[in-house]
Amino acid sequence: MTERTAPIRVLIAKPGLDGHDRGAKVLARGLRDEGFEVIYTGIRRTTEAIIAAAIEEDVDVVGCSILSGAHATLLPKVVAGLREAGAADVLVVAGGIIPEEDRVGLEAAGISAIFGPGSTIAEIATYLRANVRRP
Amino acid sequence: MSDAPSPRGAALRSARELAQAISSVERGGASADALIQEALAQLATATGPAARVIGVTGPPGAGKSTLVGALADRAREEGRRVAILAVDPSSAVSGGALLGDRVRVEERPDDDGRFMRSIATRGSGRSLSHAAAAASLLIEAAGFDLLFIETVGAGQADLGIVRLADLVLLVEGPEGGDEVQAMKAGLLESADLVVVNKGDRPGADRAVERLRSGLALGADAPEVLLTSATEGSGVTELLRALDAAALRRGRGGRVRRVAAHLAAAVEARAAERLRAAEADGRLEALARGITDGLRPLSGAVDELLQG
Repeated sequence: MTERTAPIRVLIAKPGLDGHDRGAKVLARGLRDEGFEVIYTGIRRTTEAIIAAAIEEDVDVVGCSILSGAHATLLPKVVAGLREAGAADVLVVAGGIIPEEDRVGLEAAGISAIFGPGSTIAEIATYLRANVRRP
Repeated sequence: MSDAPSPRGAALRSARELAQAISSVERGGASADALIQEALAQLATATGPAARVIGVTGPPGAGKSTLVGALADRAREEGRRVAILAVDPSSAVSGGALLGDRVRVEERPDDDGRFMRSIATRGSGRSLSHAAAAASLLIEAAGFDLLFIETVGAGQADLGIVRLADLVLLVEGPEGGDEVQAMKAGLLESADLVVVNKGDRPGADRAVERLRSGLALGADAPEVLLTSATEGSGVTELLRALDAAALRRGRGGRVRRVAAHLAAAVEARAAERLRAAEADGRLEALARGITDGLRPLSGAVDELLQG
């Protein structure tokens, strides 16, 4: 039997301590409707738990939603953990409220894209389809 | 990075190997077959008992994920290596899926004796993914001795999990199990064990009574237990009961899982052929020919299956 094409798998994670996950849930549902397989972790996950979940779920993308301002420390840890696990090919993107001046640093740390509050689901879906690195 | 990986890194790398193998059997094809074959060869030389595969099913909202998480924690305390396979439906429209079972299960990232994977049904047309049986073999070959497969509570008509699992646990909420439901054929009929979860809620005791009296009418009625996964009550007793029931049934084993895999592969192939015949108009052409009396009905199905 021939191999079937698999949908792109995305882990939507909420690292850190803020408990506001409306945006993350809207995104999760929106990406499902765009044909993605979305794994949602729930709120207040440690970076270690996010990395382990990304590995076990064999996702193509980890999307971190952060509203707490802790992005500068948490996001680079996710990237580093994925590298340590041999999963440097997993795309890490971020959403939420991230000040303009922090973007350069995050991009240098390996965050592929940052989607601010005005981003649409369609825009994010298009970006992911164009940028996932699949074997 | 050429440094030797840390112990944590090494554990993550072996989890990644299993995770990627599961993705491969979800896609199917020759490399998937090779991985399954390899797992079977490895298991053939393994000593010790076969892994125990427990299907967990029931209506949405009964607390299946939370209960499975609690059972997994308890089994880990006993030193067993535990895996969870959580199956959720794919959207028929977009092909996407929202897999949310991790929300209800405590993450334990430092514990390499547990593994959790969410899979979507991907057009299998039922509540179990075509890849579930193959994934269970890969998980067993990776050294896990207890596997919970949680399926969407499709209810009455969907028995795919019965074919695959050594044992089926039906989880009901405190409102569940009115007597007529209990007498209906379907999942309740094939459950080896029934549990009323959310036992801390009012009415749970009565649900147990309803289920017991309904089930008592049938021969070989399954036991009905009460748990509260959030409070942790009844979980140890449930794990004991599952182990005892598995020993009593004695129908476990790899042959069963390979048979389930073959059955799933046949269904997948038939579904693929049907989709192709619909897409290229052969189904309609055939139907038209039969409708107009130009060709016999007999043989039409065989023709479609041959593609």
